[in-house]
Amino acid sequence: MRLAFWLYEGTALHGISRVTNSMKDVHTVYHAPQGDDYITATYTMLERTPEFPQLSISVVRGQDLARGVSRLPGTLEQVEKHYNPEMIVVAPSCSTALLQEDLGQLSKHSAVDFDKILVYDVNPFRVQEHEAAEGLFTELVKRAAEEQTMTEKPSVNLLGFTSLGFHLRSDLTSLRRILGTLGVEVNVVAPWGAGMGDLRRLPAAWVNIVPYREMGPGAAEYLREKFGMPTLAGAPIGVNPTLAWIRDLLEQLNAIAAEKGIAPLSMPDLTEFSLDGMSAPSGVPWFARTADMESFSNKRAFVFGDATHTVGMVRFLKDELGMQIIGAGTYLSRMADWVDEQLEGYLPEPLMVTDKFQEVSRKIEDEMPELVCGTQMERHSCRKLDVPCMVVSTPTHIENHLLGYYPVLGFEGADVLADRVYTSCKLGLEKHLIDFFGDAGLEYDEAVHSADEGVPVSSVSAEGAAENASGQAADGGMVWTPDAEEMLRKVPFFVRKKVRKNTENFARENGAENVTGDLFKQAKEALGG
Amino acid sequence: MMSVPGCAQIVKEDNVTHSFCGLACVGWLYQKIKDSFFLILGTHTCAHFLQNALGMMVFAKPRFGIAMIEEGDLSRHDPKLDEVIAEIKADHHPSVIFLLSSCTPEVMKIDFRGLAHSLSTPELPVLFVPASGLSFNFSQAEDSVLQALVPFCPEAPAGEKSVVFVGSVNDSIADDLRSEAEELGMKVGGFLPESRFDRLPAIGPDTVIAPIQPYLARIVSRLNRERGVQVLRSLFPFGPTGTRVFWEDLAAMFGITVDLREREQAAWERIGEQTAMLKGKRVFLTADTMMELPLARFLKNAGADVVECSSAYINKKFHARELEALEGVRIVEQPNFHRQLEEIRESRPDMIVTSLMTANPFVGNGFIVKWSMEFTLMPIHSWSGVFTLANLFVSPIKRREHLPEFDESIWMKGVMPSAEA
Repeated sequence: MRLAFWLYEGTALHGISRVTNSMKDVHTVYHAPQGDDYITATYTMLERTPEFPQLSISVVRGQDLARGVSRLPGTLEQVEKHYNPEMIVVAPSCSTALLQEDLGQLSKHSAVDFDKILVYDVNPFRVQEHEAAEGLFTELVKRAAEEQTMTEKPSVNLLGFTSLGFHLRSDLTSLRRILGTLGVEVNVVAPWGAGMGDLRRLPAAWVNIVPYREMGPGAAEYLREKFGMPTLAGAPIGVNPTLAWIRDLLEQLNAIAAEKGIAPLSMPDLTEFSLDGMSAPSGVPWFARTADMESFSNKRAFVFGDATHTVGMVRFLKDELGMQIIGAGTYLSRMADWVDEQLEGYLPEPLMVTDKFQEVSRKIEDEMPELVCGTQMERHSCRKLDVPCMVVSTPTHIENHLLGYYPVLGFEGADVLADRVYTSCKLGLEKHLIDFFGDAGLEYDEAVHSADEGVPVSSVSAEGAAENASGQAADGGMVWTPDAEEMLRKVPFFVRKKVRKNTENFARENGAENVTGDLFKQAKEALGG
Repeated sequence: MMSVPGCAQIVKEDNVTHSFCGLACVGWLYQKIKDSFFLILGTHTCAHFLQNALGMMVFAKPRFGIAMIEEGDLSRHDPKLDEVIAEIKADHHPSVIFLLSSCTPEVMKIDFRGLAHSLSTPELPVLFVPASGLSFNFSQAEDSVLQALVPFCPEAPAGEKSVVFVGSVNDSIADDLRSEAEELGMKVGGFLPESRFDRLPAIGPDTVIAPIQPYLARIVSRLNRERGVQVLRSLFPFGPTGTRVFWEDLAAMFGITVDLREREQAAWERIGEQTAMLKGKRVFLTADTMMELPLARFLKNAGADVVECSSAYINKKFHARELEALEGVRIVEQPNFHRQLEEIRESRPDMIVTSLMTANPFVGNGFIVKWSMEFTLMPIHSWSGVFTLANLFVSPIKRREHLPEFDESIWMKGVMPSAEA
């Protein structure tokens, strides 16, 4: 049994509801104790849903268990009466899975037509958010998709876009814009905004686009096997991956066009992808060559997140911005092999695979990278350590559910990512100036600074919680003599923590019990400044 | 349908949905009792709930955590928590660990009492707190926490009368209540809970128990049973009238007669602008935090028309005075949300007090909404809380009046594709 404080992946039910909350007229009935529908708050607050999420709970009370009563059939009837959904997904909770209740049998006792009920009997002790979401979406596609003639014009389905996905709306817009420029129609986006009728129409598209490793490949694989639909997998993160993605798409579509005897699509002039139609589609290639960015080449980056964004960011930072990757990791152990394979040759050390945020935090503290790309939790860890961090993956906070257009996919996504890297990191020339001449007037009291560390990392921030997290605990408690402290104060403030730590490590390695001025000088020489 | 003589009628329906389970109380209690640790024996679901729904902050060393039951643990009816306890001890040095139950271990029929007992040492008691969603709603498990503390409250010898306030409030509200009681001539024995485990109040036959939160029925009757305390049966100290009646009734138990009507009148006048806005407004309260009865009573006193007041749990004895004051208001226990939604769509109330889960959807349906949870996190007690309480209700109404015209057909386009017709 382990002591958990915070987890990267949500529960199976969270995964299931992410799918059904994305969809029209698909209702989840969760057979669970009161309060297990807490996740509704995540949708209504993070996604600001203007309509009630389609999630009902058939409440299991202690007294029902004692009496052997189940409210599931009654709840199904109420859901049918009040919402009349096209499909009802019935799912167990931890408690009801443990009781081994037969949800199929119970559902059959309701007056609701069993054909519109999908019992998704996932084991919540074994399956988590992403696997459950992917599994349910595949099931729904299997139920709905029907053989039909293909659209006249080249068309695609965009599969895997799911509520609470990372920068989901902007990414969808970014890909739609690219497809529009290519003259490719979007047949169906699913599950985001789709109904069962839309899933029925999936086989009308020419190609299935599946950007996310976590969500969509199962459905695409089924559609390929059953209807022979080709799949374009992979996330176009960065300029070159986007160009390659467009070329692959054109190749797949043109193969079908050739069979149909239709004129092939051609690659348009790249300026056509830009927002104004007359510029380069992305600023990244030139930006990466500027003298300012040259100073980025020695910056060390660490990346941690889901599978898709970890792979995409490592490649982008190294291939397109020329940064140094010191390590990467994922909390999705099921996909670790895939991530490893994708990042072959990119990582100087084995991929970190863990679902314990403390281990990731320790790693960051040990390495003190110049940039961390992570989840909301890494942002939180980094604030305490004074390490620059940008969020590139779920789980996220409300700060990643903004109103503006911030894609990470496509040409515009590359610009957004480069901007975020640039503004997160300490700047180039400015940094040299500060390093060399001191604090540039930016000095401020460390004590004041550390009081700023109460950062909400839950998805939904409510008022009221406030606690002072002291930064002192991380110091390891070695005594510094006043002259050593004085010398440390001359080090620019934003690297001071790192220097303090390195010096203490040096002291320990050399058997010293405290840090004196002499030892500080020795450390400075030994560690190179 | 039950009928209570001289009281409002209570309609009882089938269940509460769109609200939190008893574990929610960890959100404020771990902050209130500063030398405590809250350990939940639960599953991934419990952990995910705490980190997501409550706006919990995760600090370097949060004083709550989940001993996670994973698949391999399901066959074991005697969970081994020794290592987890050792880890908590080493990292947090708490004076007390509250061991909270959750649904799964309850279904597993884990003997929590025995478990807590075996983990307890004289230096570090481990106290069992029933909190699972199989039986407990939202704030209700605070009652369980307070009950677990009872054996650690010293026996107050018979003799001098003193008041112990029951219910967790922040330190500044506690100071207000304390000084108010003292000014009225009452000795204050303390608060249950205090902000530290090692400072629990003494409780005995001459203790007067004054419940200050409306979800603590069981602890109050237990103190009455076990310690022979006298229990204040009054309104809860919210709003001018509730506060006046609360202090007058409490003083009366000390043989002190006070007439606070002038003060009550002055308090109403201070919030005259707010009550003018609330007058005649039709308000609907869905069941969430179990603060609903006194909130509805304040609204009614302020001239609002309470269309329906629903709550997860109503205790006819504990809530008797509030129910009496709500005479004529439709009161529902364990309401059915589907039914409420249908009625709300038909009757179009002017404001809905509702949970975090349902607030934005009600706004999306054209209603003015107030988060019920805010009332559990804001200083709304007694005289000093009157202004805050009134403002909480009027702020959404005012705000709506200030916002520009809103054409749904334009400004909600694409907001949530799954919600579009």
